[in-house]
Amino acid sequence: MIEVQNLHKTFKKVVAVDDVSFTAEDGHITGLLGPNGAGKTTTLRILYTILRPNRGTARVDGYDVVTQVREAQRHIGVLPDSGGLYPRLTAREHIRYFGRLHGQNGAALEANIETLIKLLEMQDIAERRCEGFSHGQRLKVAIARALVHQPKNILLDEPTNGLDVMSTRAMRGLIRRLRDEGKCVLFSSHVMQEVSALCERIVAIARGQVVANGTPDELRQATGQANLEEAFVAVIGSEEGLML
Amino acid sequence: MNITIVFRKELIDALRDRRTLTGALFYPLLGPLLMFLLFSVIVSTFSEQADKLLVLPVQGAEHAPHLIEFLEQNRVQIEAAPADPETEVRLGNLDVALIIPASYGDDFRAGRPATVQIVMDESRQSASVNIQRTEGLLEIYSGQIGALRLLARGVSPITNHALAIERHDVSTPQSQAAGFLNLMPYFIIFTVFTGGMGIAIDTTVGERERGSLEPLLINPVARAELVLGKLGVTLVFSLFAVVETLIGFTLMLNFVPLDELGVRVDLDPLAIVGIFLMAAPMVLLAGSLQMIIASFTRSYKEAQNYLGLLPLVPALPGMFLAYLPVKPEVWNMLIPTFGQQLLINQLMRGETLNILHVLLSVSLTLLVGATLTWLAIRLYEGEQVVLGR
Repeated sequence: MIEVQNLHKTFKKVVAVDDVSFTAEDGHITGLLGPNGAGKTTTLRILYTILRPNRGTARVDGYDVVTQVREAQRHIGVLPDSGGLYPRLTAREHIRYFGRLHGQNGAALEANIETLIKLLEMQDIAERRCEGFSHGQRLKVAIARALVHQPKNILLDEPTNGLDVMSTRAMRGLIRRLRDEGKCVLFSSHVMQEVSALCERIVAIARGQVVANGTPDELRQATGQANLEEAFVAVIGSEEGLML
Repeated sequence: MNITIVFRKELIDALRDRRTLTGALFYPLLGPLLMFLLFSVIVSTFSEQADKLLVLPVQGAEHAPHLIEFLEQNRVQIEAAPADPETEVRLGNLDVALIIPASYGDDFRAGRPATVQIVMDESRQSASVNIQRTEGLLEIYSGQIGALRLLARGVSPITNHALAIERHDVSTPQSQAAGFLNLMPYFIIFTVFTGGMGIAIDTTVGERERGSLEPLLINPVARAELVLGKLGVTLVFSLFAVVETLIGFTLMLNFVPLDELGVRVDLDPLAIVGIFLMAAPMVLLAGSLQMIIASFTRSYKEAQNYLGLLPLVPALPGMFLAYLPVKPEVWNMLIPTFGQQLLINQLMRGETLNILHVLLSVSLTLLVGATLTWLAIRLYEGEQVVLGR
């Protein structure tokens, strides 16, 4: 479970996140929807401990991401915006490296790696060096290394960005599967259809602030719009930067 | 534990990188190779010319048969000079030529200084040995005839010498060789700063540029452990490069016939080990400094530009040393890298080191290195390192 309370973050004079609060439950998919530059990535970066908030708190399974960094890190699996790989390591070595950094080793680690390789259907690329991988293949490696320590909370920053139709479908399948396993899945997107197709709960962000928070039905009711698209335009206040 | 995991991963990564690896293997040998070529050229020009018969074109040899006879007795082969010796010398076809004017005989008999002309081009380095030999022989001849003339007049030739100049050279054969070898500390410093450079860049700004830094930092690992693991691989590569350079220099000194220069070099294994121990503390300083600088740059290329210039800074005093022998003093030891260069120089000269100097230099350099490492860790504990500038 992820709890965010009154999060505030500025870079020099630019306010990136302004008093953001929301909760993402276990066994639910929560979507962070907003136009580009709305503060989605900054919010996620605070949650996965790369940035520190100026004010407010964020907890992962009860662990504060500022004061209990290591514990919080053990409980999250992250697919960041910049999911870069090491070109000279194989896919398997990537997963193994992150597994070891999470304190795993030996037969248990190798078994975990094998499960992930099967789950993500990456047997054909497991022993290949990542140099020259396609976008989809790179994403698989990035996801596998993020899940190797079997985290309860999954954070994904624009996971379907730049994927083709088949890969997008596979990614959605994976997100649902993780939800069905009882994990707390939080992902960001600027694509409305994606969010409405997947999420039990939607947190809409614009200009660093939460402008709507609830189930798709609640959003429709609150805005008085029968159509979810219209509802979003109403809460965000403009269509700019938002893919409908 | 985590340090070992990071260290192993970065080591494997580095060993698979052909660009880094060829650099690491080749650059440390650059210094020994350059010096090998330098010495080979010097040795061959020296030994060729010193023993060879000096071929001297003479114009008007018939005017001075006695002088010609003297020259021939001193390993000079007299040849008839071409019609225009000046042009030939200017064009470089001749090293030196001698012109004996027709007035020589009259002046000589009358006891007046008889003019002889040496045609030479002093700007030509390769002719200098032959020019000096010709001048030297003429001076000896002049001195001998002068002494005979004084004797003939009942004056002791000694009255002509107000001073008795004796050369008393205190340089040992080792220190003479060290004169040539003063470039060695420069190359060792260069190696300290280039050996791990590629790794320092690749593991810092390279990692950020690839976008793999952010995922790495999300792992439950102290930033200090990440920094130390990465720094460790940089240090290993630098140390390896230093060892390689020292082996290169040892081989070089064995292959070049330096004794033909009248120079004897005796770098015993103990001195080599000493040099390594003097160089080792600098490796920490160089590695941590490179990590910090690289982390502030935006890209691999930009880091390469800055770090490429870095070895020149500590190497400047080393280049000075090649020309200006400095007697090591305590304050020199307070400057990291400069103190080491002086100490390495002393080891090469076969001198015993001052223990105080060694302790000061080593501990201060290690202290600066440790401080820089701490700064690097602090840097990686902040947010800026992920975002770039």
